[in-house]
Amino acid sequence: MKRLIPLTSVLVLALCASSPALAQNGNGNGHGKGHGAGNPVQQDRDDDGDDDRREGRRNGNGRENRAERDVPRNHRSAEVRVREIVGDPPREGERAVRELRRGLERGESVVGREVIGPRRDEVRALLQGCPPGLAKKDNGCLPPGQARKIDRSQSYDRYNYLWRSFGGDGGYQYRDGYLYRTAPDGGLLGYLPVLGGILSTGNVWPTQYTYQQPPQYYSRYYGLNDRYQYRYSDGVLYGVDPKTQAIAQVAALLTGQQIDVGQRMPAGYDVYNIPYDYRDQYVDSADRHYRYSDGYVYQVDPTTRLVQAVIQLLT
Amino acid sequence: MHNRNAWAIAPLMALSLAACSGEADKSADGAPPAPTNQTLAEVIADKGEMDTLEGVIRNAGLSDVLAGKGPYTVFAPADAALGAAGSDLSDEAMKAQGAALLRAHIVPGALTRADILAALERGGTGGVQMRTMADGLLTFSRDGDAVTVTAADGATARLTGDETVAANGVVQPVDGLLVKAE
Repeated sequence: MKRLIPLTSVLVLALCASSPALAQNGNGNGHGKGHGAGNPVQQDRDDDGDDDRREGRRNGNGRENRAERDVPRNHRSAEVRVREIVGDPPREGERAVRELRRGLERGESVVGREVIGPRRDEVRALLQGCPPGLAKKDNGCLPPGQARKIDRSQSYDRYNYLWRSFGGDGGYQYRDGYLYRTAPDGGLLGYLPVLGGILSTGNVWPTQYTYQQPPQYYSRYYGLNDRYQYRYSDGVLYGVDPKTQAIAQVAALLTGQQIDVGQRMPAGYDVYNIPYDYRDQYVDSADRHYRYSDGYVYQVDPTTRLVQAVIQLLT
Repeated sequence: MHNRNAWAIAPLMALSLAACSGEADKSADGAPPAPTNQTLAEVIADKGEMDTLEGVIRNAGLSDVLAGKGPYTVFAPADAALGAAGSDLSDEAMKAQGAALLRAHIVPGALTRADILAALERGGTGGVQMRTMADGLLTFSRDGDAVTVTAADGATARLTGDETVAANGVVQPVDGLLVKAE
C-alpha cells in the first residue's frame, strides 16, 4: 500500500545531488484564506515558514556521499523543492535513489501539486455588473450621465482583437481601464481589470479582483521589495502598497502555469530556454530535458514528457 | 626577434579585426552571441530601429519588467513591423492595448536562435512551440534558411537581423506582429 512521507533533509540532499528528477516541490501554498470579495482562488501569503520546510536542506554532517560527489559543484547552488514521495522510508540516500527511480519509472513515486498561481480561467472569471463608479447603460458601463465618448471608443475598438485569445463566445471591448465581455447579441456579460488599464502603477487595486499571494520563493528569485505586498493575477506579479492599496510596481510577467512533478509538461516548452547563468548546470541529454518557466527549472523526460522535478533557482 | 613576435601575432590581429567587422555579436559557427551586460530594456532602447517598440514598452509600464530578473525572450518587431499600431499604442490612452500586444511577444526563458534550430532539428517538420505571456502558443518552423514564427491566430513573422543575448534574456528581432489584426 502506498504511503505519503516527507523526505528528510539528508535524503533531499542526496536526491538533489544525484538526480533532480527525484525531488519536487512541497505541499504548495493552497491553504490560504480568502482575500477581497471572497473569490475562492485568493490566498494569503505563505509567511509561516512552510515554504522553507519544503525546500531541500544541505546535509550538515560534513560528510559527502557519492551522490554529492557526482554532481557539479555549481549544481549545488540550486535548491530542489521537495514535497512528498510514495514509498517506504529510505534508510540511506543511495537506496532511496534506487527506489525512487524505480517508482518514477512506474510513474507513481511522486505526488503533489506546485501552486504558482490560479488558473487563467479562474482569474478570468468575469466580475458581474459594472466597475465601481460606472453605471450600466446601452449594453456597456459608463459614468452616470456621461455620454459615450465616440472618438475614444472607436480608437479603442480597433485593437479589441488583442484580447481575442481570452476566448469564449461574443467579444471583448476595452474601455477606460476595464475589459468588457459582451454576448453575441451585444449584452454585457461582465468585466475584468487588465494590465495597463486599471491595473497600472498608481491605481488602487480593484477590491473585487482575484489575486493570489505568490510563493515566498519569488521574493528571493525576483528580488521583491519588502515594502510592498505582492499579488499575482492573470500572469502578472504586482507590488501593492499595503497602506494605500495602490499598485506600486509591475514586478514580473509569468505564464502562471501550474506544472507539477508527475504530470505531462504542457504544450509550449519544446525549445531549450534555460537562463544563461544556469546552462552549465542544466544541460539537455538523451534521458532528461530542462525547461524554464516562471522562476523554476523543470526536468522533463524527453520520451514521456513527464515532469520529473521542479527546481528552484537561487540568486 | 621583435619583428618575429610582431608577425606571430598578425593572424590573431586579423581574427580580431574580422570579429569587429559588423558581425561582432554573432559567432562564426552559428553559436549564440555572448551575453551583454545590458538588460532587455536597455538593449531595445539602444536599437535605433526599435524606438517605437521602446515607446510601447514604456507606455505600457513594462520597462521595469524588462529591466528586472526575467529571463524573457522578446520577439521584437522593428518600427516598420509595428506599423500604425506602434504610434497608436504609444498613446497614454492605449496602455492596456500595448501591454496586451507585448505579452503576446514575450516567452519565458532565454531562447537563442541556435536553441530554436536545435529544437526544430529534434522536432521534425511539424514545428516546435513556446508559450507566451499572453497564454498563447507560438509555433516555430523552417522556411528555407529562415525561421518563421506563427501565432495561434495565424499571425506570422520571420526571425530577422541579429539576436542579442541580454543579461536577463534574449531580444529576437522579428519582421512582423505576432497578433493578427482583424
